[in-house]
Amino acid sequence: MDDQDSNPTTTTVGGGRIKLNVGGKLFETTVSTLRSGGPDSLLSALSNRPVHDPVFIDRDPEIFTILLSLLRTTRLPSTAKRFSNQELIDESLYFGIESQLRSALAPSRLSGIDTSLSTTVKPSSDGDVSDFHAIDSDGSLWVAHGGQVSVYDWNLSHTATVRTHLDFITSMKRIRPEIAAVGSLHGSGLHFYNMANGRRVNSAEWVDPSDVRIYKARVHAIADSENSVFASYECQHGENCVIMIDKSTMRISSEIGRMSGNSAKNMVPTKLTYVSDIGVLVASSVTSGAFGYSGYIRLWDPRTQDMVWETNEPGSGRSSRFGDSFADTDVDLDELSLFKVCSKSGDLAMADLRKLSDDPWFYLKEKNPSMRNVGGSGGSNFVMHCYRKQVFVGREGELEVWSRVEGNENEGIVNEEMYRRNYVDKVEDSERGIIKKIEGGGDRLFVTRENVEGIEVWQSSYNSGVVSVL
Amino acid sequence: MPPFAGSKPISNGFHHNSNSNIITLDVGGQIFQTTKQTLSLAGSKSILSNISNSDHVIPFIDRDPEIFSILLSLLRTGNLPSKAKAFNIQDLVFESQYYGIENLLINSQSNPAQFDAFNLEKSSVLPLSGRDAPSAVSTTPYGSVHVAHGSKITSFDWSLQRKCTILTQFTAIDSLLALSPNMAAAGATDFSGLQIVDLDKGFVKETLNWENVTKSGSTVQAIGASHEHLFTSFESSRRNSNCIMVYDLNDSLRPVTKIGHYEIFGADLDSAIPSTKLQWISSHNLLMASGSHSGPFGVSGNIKLWDIRSDNVVWEIKEKVDCFADVTASNELYSMFKVGVSTGELFFADLRYMDSDKSWICLGDGRKVVNGKKEGYGCTIESHGNQVFCSKGGNIELWSEVMLGSLEKKENSLPERVFRKNLMGRVKDMGGSRINDFVFGGNKMFIARKDQQSVEVWSPVRVF
Repeated sequence: MDDQDSNPTTTTVGGGRIKLNVGGKLFETTVSTLRSGGPDSLLSALSNRPVHDPVFIDRDPEIFTILLSLLRTTRLPSTAKRFSNQELIDESLYFGIESQLRSALAPSRLSGIDTSLSTTVKPSSDGDVSDFHAIDSDGSLWVAHGGQVSVYDWNLSHTATVRTHLDFITSMKRIRPEIAAVGSLHGSGLHFYNMANGRRVNSAEWVDPSDVRIYKARVHAIADSENSVFASYECQHGENCVIMIDKSTMRISSEIGRMSGNSAKNMVPTKLTYVSDIGVLVASSVTSGAFGYSGYIRLWDPRTQDMVWETNEPGSGRSSRFGDSFADTDVDLDELSLFKVCSKSGDLAMADLRKLSDDPWFYLKEKNPSMRNVGGSGGSNFVMHCYRKQVFVGREGELEVWSRVEGNENEGIVNEEMYRRNYVDKVEDSERGIIKKIEGGGDRLFVTRENVEGIEVWQSSYNSGVVSVL
Repeated sequence: MPPFAGSKPISNGFHHNSNSNIITLDVGGQIFQTTKQTLSLAGSKSILSNISNSDHVIPFIDRDPEIFSILLSLLRTGNLPSKAKAFNIQDLVFESQYYGIENLLINSQSNPAQFDAFNLEKSSVLPLSGRDAPSAVSTTPYGSVHVAHGSKITSFDWSLQRKCTILTQFTAIDSLLALSPNMAAAGATDFSGLQIVDLDKGFVKETLNWENVTKSGSTVQAIGASHEHLFTSFESSRRNSNCIMVYDLNDSLRPVTKIGHYEIFGADLDSAIPSTKLQWISSHNLLMASGSHSGPFGVSGNIKLWDIRSDNVVWEIKEKVDCFADVTASNELYSMFKVGVSTGELFFADLRYMDSDKSWICLGDGRKVVNGKKEGYGCTIESHGNQVFCSKGGNIELWSEVMLGSLEKKENSLPERVFRKNLMGRVKDMGGSRINDFVFGGNKMFIARKDQQSVEVWSPVRVF
């Protein structure tokens, strides 16, 4: 094939040939292939030696065959399946070509219509995960379970667990490469733990000497921007606010939107999202009672501590949707749109964050005939998450995705038929339990379910295809 | 640029003569010897065909030697050696693409000439994501498979590696036709227009519409193709007119002509039944178009053979009693086959005697009483090679013509042509849920069943 000729391993002819003796097996390759592992790798260092007799390397030749194939072709041969990922990683670390292996092992771009369950991450104790944070840059995972925080690396292998002083962590976020912020509904304050040495670095309590009602404030939600951490605190009697904490000093820098918490309109925010493109903090609260759901979405400007926009439900918006308050919201950070899922009808609505008005919502139309009877059937355990320009919604145990049709004729025009709804899962997947949280990171989708141990990892099925039944 | 990085003088021990046919190669540190003829089989585009030992040096290729030895065997014999089983087919595909000999690999692994219906077994399944069962399956001659499920199309290449899943504007795709390994034509009975979808990039390349008189949309009832033309049966959204559009496949889908344009006037519904199956009969240069509808007095329909150049119906069969549930034409057998909707029996009509009065000859129980049951409902029938396949429920009947020596033939003992059937598959593979669609591609057969989110693959029985 013509396009294969531009393969990076073959175009550089500058380097000569080089022989290697790995564990007694002779290999011959070119200097340019060895150097494609990067200038700092062991192999590239070997390639600078004068070529007389083969360089001897005391490692397993079979794994080296695979790694040499990886360098030549930038893909892993199927024979790599004879070894565990960890073996390959260890060996690639020895040869200094870990980044090549990482890109070959990375999942392909997450497409909700083509995703299957690939594995389940289960902490060894307190397996019922209360909160987790997926790191988008590399697909690693930080997990809060019981009073512990565990870190799983890009290969989802366990790297560290830290026991915190909290009995039951309910919110957790990685705020710096090694620092986790943890909060609990059962103990006050936001606490910063260094995952490298397991120490508590700092704590942030919400106190106000002028107001005696402000004490033992508990953290409900955490978000972060580049320089700050935002946490919503609530005191015993409902007083609440969002505290902004400086990331470098870990000290409280300001307080946003203090409220009394005596009605649904001023309850503590249960979900915080920072939208860095427009510099606003989206805070939302949902409460459910005997008369259904109610809640609000507010947009704050953290610099001025001013509210930019708000909507309260039920009560605002289109009259036809009156009483159909939202059950969950999320922000699509790529497209700058706000999504909500209605608690009664189960419908999805979208609003453009740049053009918010009194009624900014577009209610997405259901067009898939096979899904017409889904949702709004009284079940109201909805969670949603936006990732890679798709919206993932958990309805009870069912996982669905709303994705855009590519090459739509009216590109750029927001309309109600932009998104298509499809199931991600199979029927048997949905029977495992009610979905508690969905989060995407590193082209993986992580899902936790009520009273089910572990975190499900969904990936777009790369390298998949035929399954033998013989 | 040749991939030979550096060179060295030929070492002793390898007999070499610059005029000889023998070529010595060093691949990843292993020495291979072969002939110029063998390497030239790779084709002029391949990097292997440009290798020569001209300057007393051994050309060096920086690739895996083990896979090269397999591909060299492929070059020498045209078949994969059994040691290829140590590798995944994807490794071989990728490496053969590097050497530019993927077509040889395709020829050995997915060659339609190697199709043998008597030697097929259920070997694997192609799983589909989500919960939609496949509604249409289409293949290319060398066995790339496109599957429509719900509003999505999932595409597999000839080695059955999943390539992509794309979202379309349809809510459900009813007709799908593979135009190439990365292109498909898709249509739906509830959505206007035939869409030509680029499956690699996932966008609609072109939308073809029929401008009908009522200026309403035009839904797609069936798609067919010959080597030159793409045929699409359109019905207006108001369901009062229909036609078959012919597009030029080799000239960026330019509309060539329109045939069989019917409009409904008054109550005579039979006058304009849209065609729901289009099949090109290359042996006669005719287009078979069939359509049926069920009314209060049972199912009625018609089968028309069109000469597309003159817009004339060469032969029309009106189906009043025991109308077809599905119909197909076979080039090799010069015949049309139908499965009757009431009886569920197979009939054939010889295309060489088009004018005869009694067109259909029953291959099963011809005296079966038509009692209002619809035993043939949901049956589909396809011809491939010189055989006819008919799905009934969860099974596929394979009908083949028995070649009778003329010497043995006595008068009135056997009819002129004899067809016999057998059920395909071993006992464990039989039954299963109802077959919605089945197609043939490469040396394989693909089956889509009701409520199953996968496509079954039947491939030649392998001897290990």
